[in-house]
Amino acid sequence: MKSYIAKNLVNALEVLNKDECEIVAGGTDMLIQNRSHTGMSIGYKTNVLYISLIKELDYIKEDSHYIYIGATTKLESILKNKITPIILKKIIHEMASPAIRHTATLIGNIANASPAGDSIVGLYALNAKVRCQCINGERIVPLHKFIRGVRIIDLKFNEMITEVIIPKNDFSSIAFKKVAPRKSDAISKMSFVGLLKIEDDLLLDLRIALGAVYITVVRNKDIESKYIGKNIKELKENIDNILKDYEPLIKPIDDQRSNKEYRKKVALNLIKDFLLNV
Amino acid sequence: MKDISKSINKVDNDEKISGSAKYIADFVMDGMLYAMTKRSTISKGEIVKIDYPQLPDGYYIINHKDVQGKNVIKVIFEDWPVFTDKKISYLYEPIMLVIGPDKNILTQLLDSIQITYKEETPLFDWTDSVIDYHFDKGKGNRIFDQADKVIEHTYHTGYQEQAYIEPQGFIGYPEGDKTTLIGSIQCPYYVKNAVKQAIGEKDENVRVIQSTVGGAFGGKEEYPSLIGCQLAVAVKKIKKPIKLIFEREEDMSVTTKRHPSKTVFKAAIKDRKIIGLKAHVSIDAGATIGLSGVVLSRALLAVSGAYTVDHLDVSGNVFRTNTVPNGAFRGFGAPQMFFAVDMFVEHVAKELNQDPLEFRKKMLVKQGDRTSTNGLFRDPVLMPEMIEKAIKESNYLKKIEDYSKKGNYKGIGMSLFYHGCGFTGSGEKDVIKAKVKLKKDKNKKVYILVAAVDMGQGVKTTFRKLISHMLDIDIKDVIYHNPDTDFVPDSGPTVASRTMMIVGGLLARAAKEMKKRWNEEEFIVMKEYEQPDYIEYDEKHFIGDAYPAYSWGVNIVEVEVDPVTYQVDLKKAWSVYDAGKAIDERVVLGQADGGLAQGLGYGYLEVMNHKNGKIMQKNMTDYIIPTAMDLCDMDTFLFDNPYAYGPYGAKGVGELTLIGGAPAIAKAIENAIGKNVFKIPVTPEYIMELINHD
Ligand SMILES: Cc1cc2nc3c(=O)[nH]c(=O)nc-3n(C[C@H](O)[C@H](O)[C@H](O)COP(=O)(O)OP(=O)(O)OC[C@H]3O[C@@H](n4cnc5c(N)ncnc54)[C@H](O)[C@@H]3O)c2cc1C
Repeated sequence: MKSYIAKNLVNALEVLNKDECEIVAGGTDMLIQNRSHTGMSIGYKTNVLYISLIKELDYIKEDSHYIYIGATTKLESILKNKITPIILKKIIHEMASPAIRHTATLIGNIANASPAGDSIVGLYALNAKVRCQCINGERIVPLHKFIRGVRIIDLKFNEMITEVIIPKNDFSSIAFKKVAPRKSDAISKMSFVGLLKIEDDLLLDLRIALGAVYITVVRNKDIESKYIGKNIKELKENIDNILKDYEPLIKPIDDQRSNKEYRKKVALNLIKDFLLNV
Repeated sequence: MKDISKSINKVDNDEKISGSAKYIADFVMDGMLYAMTKRSTISKGEIVKIDYPQLPDGYYIINHKDVQGKNVIKVIFEDWPVFTDKKISYLYEPIMLVIGPDKNILTQLLDSIQITYKEETPLFDWTDSVIDYHFDKGKGNRIFDQADKVIEHTYHTGYQEQAYIEPQGFIGYPEGDKTTLIGSIQCPYYVKNAVKQAIGEKDENVRVIQSTVGGAFGGKEEYPSLIGCQLAVAVKKIKKPIKLIFEREEDMSVTTKRHPSKTVFKAAIKDRKIIGLKAHVSIDAGATIGLSGVVLSRALLAVSGAYTVDHLDVSGNVFRTNTVPNGAFRGFGAPQMFFAVDMFVEHVAKELNQDPLEFRKKMLVKQGDRTSTNGLFRDPVLMPEMIEKAIKESNYLKKIEDYSKKGNYKGIGMSLFYHGCGFTGSGEKDVIKAKVKLKKDKNKKVYILVAAVDMGQGVKTTFRKLISHMLDIDIKDVIYHNPDTDFVPDSGPTVASRTMMIVGGLLARAAKEMKKRWNEEEFIVMKEYEQPDYIEYDEKHFIGDAYPAYSWGVNIVEVEVDPVTYQVDLKKAWSVYDAGKAIDERVVLGQADGGLAQGLGYGYLEVMNHKNGKIMQKNMTDYIIPTAMDLCDMDTFLFDNPYAYGPYGAKGVGELTLIGGAPAIAKAIENAIGKNVFKIPVTPEYIMELINHD
């Protein structure tokens, strides 16, 4: 097994082009997934490419329409940056612990594609996209198309994600709830993001995303658009219908952390609570 | 002379903060080998055949055939083999050690050992009773003839994992004819005696030394005897230093846990009062009986909680199942019972439309009352004053009234409890027979020679402080090394909240004599345990004084429940304890905070269960103990109530502080949601069920 340390982006893309590698950014998933006994070396089963030294990918920047976050930017820097959308800050603030947040990256959380990955829920709601680059070019893929299933992503062997692209948007109401077994350093039992925009009593935008209640994040634009254009009173009158719309999409599992009845009930409670509080 | 309770810095602060303290993982010896354990992959059955790979040079396999002594671990009930010969009674039962210099090769070897089993259907239900206890007080069951009403409820408690920071581990090496072990342990002599029996050696050929211990909580009481014996067998055969340390997941999957329990309570009610109780307790021993009988006893003895009930019919069973063996854990049966009884008395009061607090206060134990086994509560009981203090500090009366109004999801709960200090029954006199030595040398240095282990609880500090106070010498001149069985007498295990009261008590007696003879240049004082003459206990029939003394406690906990997610938010906790006399106030407060955190965790967070014998929460990601973010401010108040036989009046403190957490938080949650709670942990999943099912 070989390991490479990339010093810059070109270097990383060259390595990926000639040798199949798994990428290690902060390593906070990779090291755990490949752990071995104390005193033994990390049990990688493939070649690895360390990318955390690539300075040129450590950024958060913006233009008039988008925010761009690079692949080696740590969660903690994203949390501290003024440009970061508030909903994303709220999420990162509840991820892991300060020590892990100083090491882990946002793109690592995306590429890990765990159903319980916290940032993904917010990024789905924000209509985020990822930029995948290889030595010969690049493509931009919407996140919900990029994540294909539990730990399955649409990444070619010679590609890496270089940045996340988040469209800028204003919301009049935002909510995030991480339902975890304790307040810090815990994996979500389920999570919820709600975003909406109201102007002159009219609902202009509605986005609801649910984590850990299905193999990937649940977000359904058909349901959302059914209610866009309603006024607040109508929206509230429709809460039961909205819950009925979401009910069949919420298909959680039983595991060592919680059970499906709880996950489902709380998911519906959170949607209801969000809409009631508009 | 200044008050001994006044805090000093813990003597091991510097080495622990700087990182220089040597834990077992820090020991490295020349030519050291590593041991890894090959375990069963079935829960019940027999080994039919084992296919071994070719062992490279310098690699070894050690199994039951290498056990030269008795192939059973010396604990209270001897049914735990060092290595199984063929019978498998739980998943991951140890079959052999694979030993050699390179862990990479060891893991490959482990994978390539092929074991064929004849599988049988494992038993997980509680049907195989291996211990059956029963005793009555007063009229026993006959009191129910006089009842005008009977109230019955059932309470359940789950597993709890000790979650010490440092996993189990030893390093063993030969010293001439001697087999020596250094380990992360609570009871050096338990290990020594077990090893002697397993390798069939003379006393002088087994030596056990304690390394710095990174937490134990009972988890390092009897379990280390098992792996200590395995390693000793290996060292004796291979004659090289060998290290055996568990990884976290291995540790959590295979080591002993708190016994899950089920308690059925029946109250005989007359004139809206409890006139008698009937209780039956079931506990799950797992695959071996081990200490389970004593755990059950402690639960049964506490059957009427902090209350006096004249007529009792008490029974219990230990059930064997094909699951990981359960064992010692801070509280030792008491946390299970105090949860059940304190909830039950509250539930009865509510059903009788009585104010629970007044109902409970009327039933409180008073000095001179009879214990559940007709012993005597001889010493003053300060509970009324302690309750008053807790009520005042927490503003309990106003809050309980406000929070009892429907729909605000705030709650407050109060637990009342005690802990019997020291070994149950005649254990100290008949089994442990503690000895301590105090030695003065030419340079006027005084050596504490005992087998008590500092596992973080602070006994290095408090014993040195105790002796320096009594002899009126500088604490720097009192020396207390980690116990080494070649140098210290058997002062008993570091368990059962006995260390300060019993071992410290003996040391205080030794110090008294030393002080008188201070002019002698160099000498040793030895003291042996003498049971206070009033203590008489018939273990078989559960009659008499089961404990020499009792420590008491009140916990009040305030919570808020989120009606959307059913999560519990701890707001604040208040505690009042009577542990006799604090030898060091901050050390006691450390026990208070840590114990309550562990008790609260047991009550609302720490879910552990098995699926077909496999522990589902096998790492710290899935087994949820509270973090600093989850905990709340905890105010603690100590009442002095000196006990005649404890040093400066000290009683037990280590376990007391864990016991009240679960019932207090369970009651607070009840108060917040307006539903009765019958099991712990009170998880959001359970709260949802309670709220949604009327
Ligand atoms: C104690 C602890 C607590 C945690 N708490 C949380 C939590 O609360 N919420 C949560 O969601 N997660 C949590 N995690 C998981 C983890 O920290 C996050 O998923 C983190 O964002 C991963 O980032 P990383 O940079 O460390 O990823 P890495 O471990 O380096 O990589 C993760 C995956 O992404 C791939 N990858 C990384 N960078 C790229 C790239 N540029 N292009 C393509 N693929 C790439 C890797 O190959 C790997 O498959 C926790 C982990 C630990 C150890």
